[in-house]
Amino acid sequence: MVVELQHEMKPNPQADELARQRFVSGIRGFILGDLANDLREAYTKEVEPAFSRQHGRKPDTSNEVHAAMRGNMAFNVYSAMRVKAQKMVWASTEGIVHRELDRLNEEAAKVEGKPGSFTLNPDMEIPRNVDAIDVHLMPGSYTRGGTSLESGAVYDQGLAVFSMGLMGENLDDIGSTMAAYISNKHPEFQPRRILDTGCSIGHNTLPWKKSYPQAHVEAIDVAPGGLVYGSARAKMQGQEVHFKQMSADSLDYEDESFDLVFSSMFLHEISRKARAKAFKEAHRVLKPGGLLLHMELPPNDEMSPFDGFFLDWDSWYNEEPFYKGYRDERPSDLCRDAGFEEADFLQFTVPPVGLYGEEAVKQAISDASDGSVDSKNTGRLTDGMTWFGFGSWKR
Amino acid sequence: MPNTPDEQLKPDNTPGGIYGTDGKPQFFDDPAMDRVVAVLMEITQTSWAQEERILALEEANGAEKVDREERLNEFINRTFAPLR
Repeated sequence: MVVELQHEMKPNPQADELARQRFVSGIRGFILGDLANDLREAYTKEVEPAFSRQHGRKPDTSNEVHAAMRGNMAFNVYSAMRVKAQKMVWASTEGIVHRELDRLNEEAAKVEGKPGSFTLNPDMEIPRNVDAIDVHLMPGSYTRGGTSLESGAVYDQGLAVFSMGLMGENLDDIGSTMAAYISNKHPEFQPRRILDTGCSIGHNTLPWKKSYPQAHVEAIDVAPGGLVYGSARAKMQGQEVHFKQMSADSLDYEDESFDLVFSSMFLHEISRKARAKAFKEAHRVLKPGGLLLHMELPPNDEMSPFDGFFLDWDSWYNEEPFYKGYRDERPSDLCRDAGFEEADFLQFTVPPVGLYGEEAVKQAISDASDGSVDSKNTGRLTDGMTWFGFGSWKR
Repeated sequence: MPNTPDEQLKPDNTPGGIYGTDGKPQFFDDPAMDRVVAVLMEITQTSWAQEERILALEEANGAEKVDREERLNEFINRTFAPLR
């Protein structure tokens, strides 16, 4: 299903455009459901036994599974169709955005005076991993259209097709679920200043403002267009958020100036070097007693080699070059190396609040699980999915 | 930004042969097959859009309303059944 955006910049697709979007969402469901099941079956019945016969053992790593799967028909079909479907996500939105850009500008102008802001930095050098490749196979990446609303609109509308209804009606399920988890598990924690790093259009920033309405919320990203769009989007939804063009690995904030530093699906987009710096910067700007919290893909060392390969697919074929490198790192090491105490590390999996409700989140908390990853369902858009979160308190 | 190994815009240890000469992913031995898959998906998408148009015309002429998502699932499952 295609999600209908919950703000005035939502598209007005023609019947033919809506049908095409519906098809893309449907075919993604077929690929990530039926064909993914075929992929697992091919691995279990054909590829793993063949590997075992040749090597006298099963594959140990995601890389070994990947190499063994290459050439298998189920892999070829799944992969070729998934790449094409990803391109079709963006193709199904671009024409609408181009046709409606003037209307989007008019809508954005109507909310200009509402609380909230965006601040751009024209001197910022955009990192190559954002600007030089088509991240997620999105033509022009996050910097298409410069400071116009174009990139934000394509991304927002594309996510409405891509997510198949599994990321919330407002595409904010990750933020909503993380905020629900923290507010229920730590009701005494009342952040007054919140920073979302790598926010793109701020869709997962807004739930933090909703959960902690008294908090001052800042959201940063290096790509300007998404910030301009995200600011208008937040204002349309009555949420005061201050967007700034800034890099997470070089924060223009004072020491100990935030209670919560958050990100969602961001760390896997940046290089190992930038990631390490971002963790150190987060440690620096957090107040004592503050919380670092990242929603991310689960790490490879907590998954079976096949399930690790299944997620790592995006690194090889979806223009996300740092995705696998990130997943090969251990979240606890990233926190420790930035100065957080090992004893203060936390990680958890939690069902999406939009799909399963707040009671399911509370149940996940009361189950007092050790945060172990469900190899088949964590970080996937599928039935029974769970999100993965980790971070650390700062002493 | 310096083009250090960490900043190469391909994953570490990228295996040889997974991209074609155009730098794009290649899955089948014959790269033409990758293109045929893409063409078939375009045609199928267009076919579905036509199906929705026909449904809309039929409904405008008094036919019972059809659940689009349900019909789409049937359409996709039927069209791509040979791949399963």
